[in-house]
Formats: sequence, structure tokens, C-alpha cells
Amino acid sequence: QKELDKDPIGLITPDQINATPTVNTITTTVDGSYQMLSSTLNLIGNWAWPEGTVIRPDFVIQDMASDDMQKKWAPDGDQPWMDEVSGFRFTANNAAFNGIWSFDYEGIAVTNQAISYLTNNELISSLSMNESLRNRCLGEAYFLRAFYYFDLVNNFGDVALVLKPLENFNEAYKVAIRVPATQVREQISADLAAAKPLLPAAKYSSNTERWRVSKGAVTALQAKIALYNKNWQEVISLVNELEASGFYSLNAHYFDNFSVAEEFTEDEVIFAYDHQSGKLPARGNGLSALLDWGFVAPTAGFINEFESNDPRLLYTVNSATKTVNKLLGSTNGTYKGNDDAPGNKIYIRFADVLLWKAEAYLETSNYPAAIAIINQIRQRARTTPAIDGSAVPAGTLPARNATSTNKDEIKGWLMHERRVELGFEGQRFHDLKRWGIAKQVLTAAGKNFQDKNYLYPIPQGEIDKTAGVITQNPGY
Amino acid sequence: KVTDNSNLGLPGVVVQQTSTQNRVPTDINGNYVITLQAGSPQSLVFTYIGFDKTTVPYSGNAVINVQLKPSTSSLDEVVVVGYTSQRKGSISGAVSTVNMEDVETRRVPNVSQVVQGQIAGVTVTQGTGAPGDPIQVRIRGLGTIGDNDPLYIVDGNPTKDISSLNPADIKTFTVLKDAASAAIYGSRAANGVVVITTLQGMAGKPVIELNYFNGAQQVTNLPHMLNSTQYLNKQEEAWNNAGFQNNPYTIAKTRTDLANTDWLDELFETGHSQSAQLTASGGSEKVQYLFSGGYYKQDGIVVFNNDQYERINFRTNINASLTDRLRIGTNLQISNEKQDWLSSSGDAPGIIRHALLRPPVLAVYKDPSDPTYSAADPFTDLPLYYKDAKGVGQWDQNLEKTSNPVALAYFANDKRNRFKTFGTFYGEYAFLGDKSLKLKTNIGIDLSYYHNKAFNQNFGDDDNGGAEKDKGKGMGRQNRPTNLSEERGQNLNLTWTNTLNYVKTFGRHSLNALAGSEYIKFTESGISASRARFDYTSSSFQYIDFGNTSSDLWNGGSGSEWALFSLFGSATYVYNSKYMITANYRADASSRFGENNQWAYFPSISAGWTISQENFMKDLPWITDLKLRASTGKLGNQQIDNYAFLTLLRKNGDRYVLDRYGNPDLKWESTLQNNIGLDLGLLRNSLYFSFDYFTKKTSDMLLKIQLPRLVGNVKPTYVNAGEVQNKGFEMAVSYRNKIGKFQYGINGNIAAIHNEVKKLHPNSPAIVDAYTKTAPGHQLGAFYGYQMEGIYQNAGEVTQHLYATNNPSEKPGDIKFRDLDGNGLIDDNDRTYIGNPVPKLNYGLNLSGNYKGFDLSVLLQGVNGVDKYNDGKKILDYDTRPFNYTTAVLDSWNGEGSTNSIPRVSFTDNGSSRVSSIFVEDASYFRIKNVEIGYSFGALLKKKIPGIQNVRLYVSGQNLYTSTKYTGLDPETTDPIDMGTYPQSRAFLFGMNVKF
Repeated sequence: QKELDKDPIGLITPDQINATPTVNTITTTVDGSYQMLSSTLNLIGNWAWPEGTVIRPDFVIQDMASDDMQKKWAPDGDQPWMDEVSGFRFTANNAAFNGIWSFDYEGIAVTNQAISYLTNNELISSLSMNESLRNRCLGEAYFLRAFYYFDLVNNFGDVALVLKPLENFNEAYKVAIRVPATQVREQISADLAAAKPLLPAAKYSSNTERWRVSKGAVTALQAKIALYNKNWQEVISLVNELEASGFYSLNAHYFDNFSVAEEFTEDEVIFAYDHQSGKLPARGNGLSALLDWGFVAPTAGFINEFESNDPRLLYTVNSATKTVNKLLGSTNGTYKGNDDAPGNKIYIRFADVLLWKAEAYLETSNYPAAIAIINQIRQRARTTPAIDGSAVPAGTLPARNATSTNKDEIKGWLMHERRVELGFEGQRFHDLKRWGIAKQVLTAAGKNFQDKNYLYPIPQGEIDKTAGVITQNPGY
Repeated sequence: KVTDNSNLGLPGVVVQQTSTQNRVPTDINGNYVITLQAGSPQSLVFTYIGFDKTTVPYSGNAVINVQLKPSTSSLDEVVVVGYTSQRKGSISGAVSTVNMEDVETRRVPNVSQVVQGQIAGVTVTQGTGAPGDPIQVRIRGLGTIGDNDPLYIVDGNPTKDISSLNPADIKTFTVLKDAASAAIYGSRAANGVVVITTLQGMAGKPVIELNYFNGAQQVTNLPHMLNSTQYLNKQEEAWNNAGFQNNPYTIAKTRTDLANTDWLDELFETGHSQSAQLTASGGSEKVQYLFSGGYYKQDGIVVFNNDQYERINFRTNINASLTDRLRIGTNLQISNEKQDWLSSSGDAPGIIRHALLRPPVLAVYKDPSDPTYSAADPFTDLPLYYKDAKGVGQWDQNLEKTSNPVALAYFANDKRNRFKTFGTFYGEYAFLGDKSLKLKTNIGIDLSYYHNKAFNQNFGDDDNGGAEKDKGKGMGRQNRPTNLSEERGQNLNLTWTNTLNYVKTFGRHSLNALAGSEYIKFTESGISASRARFDYTSSSFQYIDFGNTSSDLWNGGSGSEWALFSLFGSATYVYNSKYMITANYRADASSRFGENNQWAYFPSISAGWTISQENFMKDLPWITDLKLRASTGKLGNQQIDNYAFLTLLRKNGDRYVLDRYGNPDLKWESTLQNNIGLDLGLLRNSLYFSFDYFTKKTSDMLLKIQLPRLVGNVKPTYVNAGEVQNKGFEMAVSYRNKIGKFQYGINGNIAAIHNEVKKLHPNSPAIVDAYTKTAPGHQLGAFYGYQMEGIYQNAGEVTQHLYATNNPSEKPGDIKFRDLDGNGLIDDNDRTYIGNPVPKLNYGLNLSGNYKGFDLSVLLQGVNGVDKYNDGKKILDYDTRPFNYTTAVLDSWNGEGSTNSIPRVSFTDNGSSRVSSIFVEDASYFRIKNVEIGYSFGALLKKKIPGIQNVRLYVSGQNLYTSTKYTGLDPETTDPIDMGTYPQSRAFLFGMNVKF
């Protein structure tokens, strides 16, 4: 009889380990909170294409869904769910939605675990954890939770708000209920507000691990939220605050943002996931492998959007060699096919932030300020040498008329500039939605976009797994 | 002298004067001497198990030679059922037995394969045709989403795997199909129980038997692939259909350096198998022995010798009566199995799949003038290295990067070795004067050591991929870098069973009662390691020590254990051979469940009525036997991960993270099964029918359910939920007769089954994967996808059908799918059930006959009402990549009205990327599984060479003919999704059997 009740061998149950976490447990949990932002392959499942979890599919639901990117250089039947997203012919069963949902919520689960350790004062004092370390960790975790929820709320609207680790199996069904998006946004703001004072007032939160969330990243995300909420004055003041810190500026060379060689030494990237090759557990960039399989190609419309000789085109994508340089972090095809590539995944960079401010100026009728920023972006572009090293011809990307007061014209410039400057960086689809022109633009691009598509469907699996307690978005 | 039907002396026959206790046994040669008592009936009765009781009148002092006939009435046969044995006549459950000597002619390596087609309701399927690949056995359909493998009891020792057994050592294979028979095995019996007994020595002169066969196998039924010219024409057409410019195939057609390779022909060769078997048995009244040694080796039909299976078996079975009441014995086998494993099914690097896909324009071997040629790796890999217009060498991107299957076969180096000790030791003591009460203790041991070693040598062409550190070193893309992985481990399963069995007949009443306990403990542990980047690849370097030690070192260790404690009882009461009732009860406690549900109880009851024994049946003498049987009972299933009820953590770097939430209320899956059966024997049982109807309902299925993803990435938790119902009937018919010296027998069986999921968990309304959907109202694992309606014949048809689709990408010639919800859009909601992976009907037919020294046996076998998803067809015929096609594609759509069944070839999606009915094929088949013709020299030889009893020569053919509509390589494989599976081969064997 005793044999039937022995402790398990070969597996770990919570009773068997020292349940009290160590400082190392806490810091590794914080580090683990970043993982779901990466493009590392197979973090969830093993080649689970039908689940959409082979790789974080944000490039599918943002760029392929927009008018910039198509699935492959040559259309084929591979991974048809990507085509369905691209053509807005999907249902709630589409792998992409389950994928992004799974990545974001797994990120939230790890982050919640980190926060629960770090806010347990008894635990922290018993471990005599260094206060500045604790603050930095907690700041990182609050930011990351906000970041994941911001992605969820933008894609899906009302979502479940899970803020604590689960105690047991049955609790899963208690937290599985959608709350209004406004409540989620309040939580995001609260987390960011909490994160900000906890992080050091320096460009990097850690000089040895520069990939960590910085105070600047928090400010930038606050600005982005303000932008999405159309709080224009707040956008301006937050971007001003970021500029005042003096940490960020436009790189002289456009490609320094993406080049593997320049990572964490350049001036523009504010928040990125730091992919590294040859680590255990793996933290390389797996998108580089997909690029070799023919995935990720520009639409004709995207290429046509570039003005002639704009060097950013070839830094983004080279149709002749079928190379997406920006996503590889190299300009000569290095890393293509490498499933453990070092190129970082960029989430927020200063050029993007400046254009938010331009948009805020525009919307508050401060046209000269808006045009000045657009011209600043254009100037950096035309002073960047072309991909072959030559200077771009004179007359390329001329400055916009600084005296224009035609709001529509200036908005057109802004939209154009965002599209070419930030192409393939996961911004376009949300931009189109925010500007309220998604249906018009995407229908013109031959897609089946409907009004309901302003929100993606909740993954059908989540509805099934909660026996319908999680409800579907309208129209799906 | 007493002899059997082939005139061999029968030892141990009881010769008894009628109605007296005056009896003697025959000696080892079958001779006897008996002195008759006066005043008693002057006749002799000869009785021997398995033979008809024969009464011969007295005739003075003369020598009475009697030839006993094998029992046509099998009712007196003793069948081993759950811890005890019973006369077949008193069984009221659904039990089927195969005597292995009846199916000896199968000549296959695995015991399960031997019974294929022999038992109604038992479906045996070879996983693939690759030597040593697993065999799947299903009894009465699929009861659960979890484990469906039956439990095997070999000489009282339970196991889930019998691949190591030597078929030549097996005496009987008995399937306990219904709950009443199997419930005594409680929590492990839900998928049916197979009781296997091994051959035992018999008192008498030593018998030595030698059997050897040797044969050759060849692949059959290969699909017809396009040759180079056809291939290039078709790809040219596909390129044009896609609307691409600068057709590279038009240029390729002018090239003269292209090969015309028939990859299937290059991949397959003639395989060989051989088997040698020596058995010696005999013994005295007190000690009987059987020694057996067997060797089996098969080299499969793929080129090179990297698809071999080899097995060595030694067996010692000894039974000894230490005293009149105490008997001890052992049945012990040691075996060693070696499999040279290769990728026999599935996608990358499925060898068969790549032989189908690879374009014929590629040669098998590189030309030595090719700059990438090397003697160590002479195989072509990446498609067509050529110099472009600028004189730059490059790979032709217009040919898909298939792998060279011949190279895959050549470099396959994955050896799986298992050494196993399997057997029992028992002691049995008889109490009471008549020995009616017996105490038996049985210790079963199942100890195996395994060692798997795969040396994956780098080969192929450099595609500039792989890890940074491997780039620019000229490494090929296959197995980059060279790596070795090795694992060793052991499993030990100990079973200790104690039973008390009381068997007694009082006048018209007979009773067989049993009580017992059983304790099973299983432990396993393993260790594994791998290294990469070996500087040398010769066999002396294929050890972990010689890999690179600066990176990619992996090692692992694991262990687990479980235990089961059980108490059980069983009683059978028979009145006047007419009415019988059996009740079983088992209580099991398993370590696999938490304290809330550790114990489970499995009762069953069955009853039988032998109508033919009733007086009113006496008027119908042609009805020899008529029996009605009914049973009901509950069975369990506990075949889940160990510790499934506990919450588990896993180590991720330095962090313990939640792996899975536990469910402390987890309990046993249970199956309620009802059975009614009828046995009918006519004309002295020469014609015998057996019919069973059953319902089997599995509830509280052990189901893994995924929590909502919003709680994070945790593994699924086990819950008890859902119901699956199987209903079906089974029928077996046998007929034996004799016309002059020609004896013949026909033995057929058929089983029909209806499988339906009744219920799933509320939080898991359906279990869906890329190809299947399991949901209430449908079969387990039913295929799910789009329904093909035809081919779009013109642009108008496309826009009419897809009226709500802005800019439909579909073109004339593409597959037209049914728009089930009629919304003018083809999307997920247009998917439906498109096929059934569970056979509805199984049948087998044995024909046997002998005339003088000649004998013949034939086995026909088939399944009906089953579909397979032919993924090979998808990727071969309709894919958008330039793989090779089968000749079916020569008739693809090429203009309005050309065809409504085969879509246009194209490099853009023609609809083939959707999982659809176009790839679901009827995989019913009928096979001439086996034909064996033999000739026995018995009588002829015995006079000339004393000592030799018999010599039999035989020739055997397997898989001689297959009738199927399935267009893949083989309809008989276990994977419902066929991505190109190693097919079964046609075999011819020659053998010799010598009996001393």
C-alpha cells in the first residue's frame, strides 16, 4: 500500500522543492517575462503550425494584414492561414489569433509570477534582495505586462484580465472572463505609472544587459497609448519628456537601427527583444529561417510607395535577391536561413516616436512642427548612403513644404512617411485602423476587409475551452 | 498402441475399461498393456485432451491399435482464462482462442501478426512494412481517445508489449473480448485482454523439432511516376498556369545533362528474411521440459542494409512435481531485438516520401566531374548545380529541395537494441485429498535494457544554412553538423500473484472458485547524451567521447515508477452442463490516482444456457451444440502518464516553472460492456457458428484538456470526461470435412463495428487537429475538412460561387469547394466530416486442406469501410511545389470541360492546400495474405531413417494479391494520415521442418 502513495520520481511537484524562491528564481522569472516577445521558434509546442505558435505571428496579423506584406515571394499553398489573414477571409479558428493570444498570455503568466514575487514584501526582506535590483525588476515586469495587454487590447478589444498566478486548475475558469477594454487600458496605464519611478534614470537599466526595459521605454509606451487614445497633448508632453532625457536621437544611418553590428550601441532603438545566437535555452531569431523558406515579401503597392532612390526601400527589402534585410539585421543575406539568428526584434524606436509627435502636432493644428518632424525623418533618410554605399542622388526625398497649412496634405505626408520609414515593423495595420481608413485602403488593395475586422476574432479555441464564457467579438 | 491422425504414437493417453477404475496410461511411444477385469463391460475407453473420446469393444488378447481423431468438438478444450482455466463448454463470456499450430504457416516475426484475420473483432495492423516497426492490435474498436492497446497476459505475466516473443514458442492466443471474461483484470482490461500460453514439454520421449525458412521480399503496387520528359512538360504547364514569366522549364527541356531517374526503382531492392528455430521437449511423469532457441532476421526492401530487424530468443519452460501435491515451474525467455531504424513514414526525412517527391531529372549519383562530388558522399542532393549566364555556379531554385532518398537510406544509422528477460516462476500446492483446492503463487518478471544509438553523419550539399559556426565549412545540409545521440535505460516490471482456486464437481454441480491478490510494480530509468561536430565519422569514432566538447553537449536522465495492488475473486457454477454462471470481481488500487480515487471496483457477471443439452432437443440430433450466452460488466483503463493527478513543475534554466496543473479528483476511465452470444454446432460440430453482439460504452474517459490559453502555456490537465460507444457484432464460422483422403477446413470470421463519440468535456467540445475532428455524434478521429465539389471550369463559375469574395484568387481549373453555409466565401465554416478512419468491417478467411502428404493453407484478410487521408496524393499530384507527379496528373484540368476531378497544375494554390475530401480515399482492402503449400515425407522417411519422425518441405507466399481502391503505396498502415509509408512487401519463402 505504501508503494502506491510514494512521492513521484523523475518529476517535480511543488511539494518536493523548496517553495521559497531565491533571488535567482526571481530574476530569472523576470528575464523569462521577455521571452514571449521574441521570434524564437517553437517556444510553445513543437512546429505547432495549426496552433499558430511556431513563431510569434505578429508579422502576420500586422504586416500581412496590411497592404505592405504578402505571405511569400511566390504565392503557394503553404500555411494558407496566413493568406486567409491577409485576405480577411479568416474565421475565429485561424491559427494566427490563437498564436498571438497564446504568446501574449503566456508572457502575462510569467510576468504575473514575477510581480507576485516582487510585491511580496515578506519574501523580499527574507531574501534581503537588493532594493535597487528589486525596483528595476518590478519596473521591467510592470512594463512587460502592460506591453502584452496593450497588444491584446489593440487586437481583440475586451480581453480577460489576469493579474495573479493561478493557485490551481479550477481557478483557470474563474479568471476566464472578458472585461471591458477600458478596464484593461486602465490597468495598462496603472502598470506603466508604477513601472516608471522604479526604473533608473539612465538610457539603459543595466549597462551589461542593455536589452532590459528602460525608463525611456516606459515613457515611449505611455506616449503610444496616449496616441492611440488620441490624447494629443499628452503625446507631445511625453515625447518631449523622452527627448529631454537626451538618450535618444535619430541614427545618422537608417540601417543602424537594424544592423546586428550596431545593436545597443546606436542611438535610436528604445525597446527591442535582444535575440542572441547559440544560447541555451535558445533565444535566437527564427524569422530568419522563415525568410529563407520564401516567407515575407512586399506587395507591389508597398514598393510603389517609396519615392525614387529612397534608400530605405532596399534596406527594408530587396526584391532582386528576395531578401528582407531589415528583418535579418544584415544587408548581404547573412543570417538568412539561420533559425537561431542574432538580429533583434525592434518594437519601439525613436523615429516612430517622433512621428507620433508629428501626428499629435498635426491633430492639434501645429502644422509647422508636424512638417518639421517629417522633414527631419526625410533628411536622415536621404543622408543615409544607398545600400551599395553610394550617396543618394541629389533631389531625392526633398523636404516637404514647411509652410503648408493643408491638413489633408500634411496628413498624407505623415502617412506616407510612416509607411516607408516603418515598413515591415508591425506598425502599418494599427496605423490604418487608428486613422480610420483601414476599410478604404485595404479594400482598394483587394482585400475583403469589413467593419468588424477593426477587432480580430477571439480565438475560437478559447471560447470552446471556457464553454462559451469567453464571448466572441461582434460579427464573427 | 495409440496413435494420432498422422500415425505418431501418443504418450499419456488414458486407457480405461468402461465403467471401472481399471486404467493405464500409454508410454512415450503410445504403447499400452491393460489387463481387463472380468464382470465389467468388455470395452476400452481412450481419452486424451484435444482428441475425441473413443470407445473400442473388447476382442480377446489381440493387440488393439487405436487411432484417435483430433477433437472436432472443441468443447472439452481447456481454455486459460484469467488466472484459471475452464472447459470451453462452460464459458459464458466472449472468448476466442487461436491455437498457434493452426496458424504456424504465417511465417511472420511478431506474435500479433500471426493472429491477423483469425479472430472476429480483433484488428491487427502492421504500422508500416519496415522490419521491426510496431504492430497495432485493436479489440472491438477504439474505446477511448487515450490508450487503446490491449493487455497481454503471457503465462500469467502481464505486459503491454509482446514484440519480443517468439511466435514459435506460443501454444495458444486467447482473446477475452467481453467484460465478463476480462473484468478479472480490472483496471487494465478495458481494451481487451489477450491471454497467451507458451508451449510446455509433455511426459514422453524427447521431441526435437527444427524449422528453417529463407525467403525474399519485393515491393508491389508502386504508383506510376512521371519520367523526366513528362515531368518537365508538366512543370512547364504549371509555371504557365501560375502566370509567371521566363519559364525555366522551357529552358530545362533543352538541357541534355538531365537524368531520368525512377526513384522508387532506385530505392527498393529485394529484401531477405530467414528464421531458424530449434525446439526440444519431453520429460517424465514428474518433470517436463521445453527448450527453444530461435533466430529471426529480416533485411527490408529499401536499398542498403540499414532497414534490418533481428531477434534472438531462448526459452526454458520447466514444470516439476516435487511431491504429489507440490508443483513448481518456470517459463522464462531471454530475447534480444535489434532494429536498424529508418524513417519509414511521415514527412522529413521520410525516405519513402522523398522517393515519391524527388524530380526524375535528378540523378542518384553525382558525376565525378561535379565540383561538389566526393567519394564519401557521391549522392546528388540539392537540385541541379549549374552555371548561370554569368558563369556563376548555383543551385536551381526552380526545383524543390527534396532529399535524395537513396542517400537517406545510405546514411541511416539508428540502431535500437533491446535485451529482455521475460517470464514467470510459480509454485502450486494442492490441498484436500482430491486436490480440488490449489494455492498458486506466481512471480512475473519483465526486465528490459535498451540501448538506442543514432549517429547522424553530415551529408548533402551546402545550402549556406545552419548555425553560424557551421557556415562556410563545406558541410552538407543534412544532419548538419554530424551528431551522435545515445540513450540507455531499463524497465522493470514485477508482478506477484497469489491465487486460491477450488475446482470440484459434485454430481450435477460443478464449481470453479478463485480468490487472489496481485501486486505489480514498474520502475524505469534512462540516461541519454548527445554530442555534435565529430571530426571523423568512421565507426571507431562513433562514441560520445569523440564529439566536440565546446558546445551542443546534451545529456539527460529520467525515471518513473508506478504500482498497482489488486484483490480479486471469480466463481463459475455449472449445473448439469446445461446452465452456467460466472461472476468476477476485482478491486484495484493504483499509484496513478490520488487518494481521493485510488481504489476502483470492477464487477462482471455472465450466464450461459446449453440448449442442446435439454431433453426437447434430443429430437434434433443434427444439432450437436447450441448455447446462448450473455454477459455484462465493467472494465477500467489507467493507461495515462504517471502522477497525472499532481501539479508538476519543470526546470527551465534556473527557474522552476509550472508545467501542468494537477487534478486531484482524477479517477479511472471505465467501460461498461454487454455481450450476447450464440454458439451453434451442427453435424457433430463439423459446422460451427459463433455469433456475438456487443455494446461497449466508455465513460469518464481520461481526457487531456488544454486550459484556456489565457492562463499561459501549460500542458493539458487530465480530466475524466466524455463517452465513446462501440457497438458491433462478430461472427465466426468453421467447417471441417473429409472427402476420401482429402481433408479440408474453412474458417471464417467477420466483425462489424460502429464507433461513436457520445460526449466530450464541456470545455473541450471537440478535439481538432489539422486533419481530424473528434466530436459527439461522429467517430473518433473522423477526417474533417472541405468538400470538393468539382473543378472551376471558367471564370464565371468562380465569381458566381465566391460571390462575397473580393478579388477571388481562385482560377478556372482550381478545386471548387462546397460553400456549406452559402455565404459566398470559402472559409473554416465550410469544413465538415469527410471520412472515417476506423474500419467498419473486418474479415478473415482461412482455407486449409491436406491430401496424403500434401497440405495447403490459405489466409484471406481484409477490412472495409475505412478511409485514409492520402497526403502523398496531395503533395505529389496537387502541390504547388515542383515535386514529381504521378501519371494521374497527365489528365489534369487544361481548359473548360477537360475534367471535373483533377485540378490544374500550378505554382500557385489550386485549392490543394486545404484539407479536403479530394485526398480522402477509401482504404478498404482485400488481401491474399498468405498461401502455404507443404509436403510431409513422414511415413516414407520413417522406415528409411530411424529417428526422424517427419520432414516437411514448404513454400509460402505472403501478400500475394491486394485489391484496393487506395492509390497510396499500402492501404494497411496504422497512421490515418499517409505521408508516404514503407509498404508491405510480397514475400516468397522456402522452408523445412524436421521432427525427430
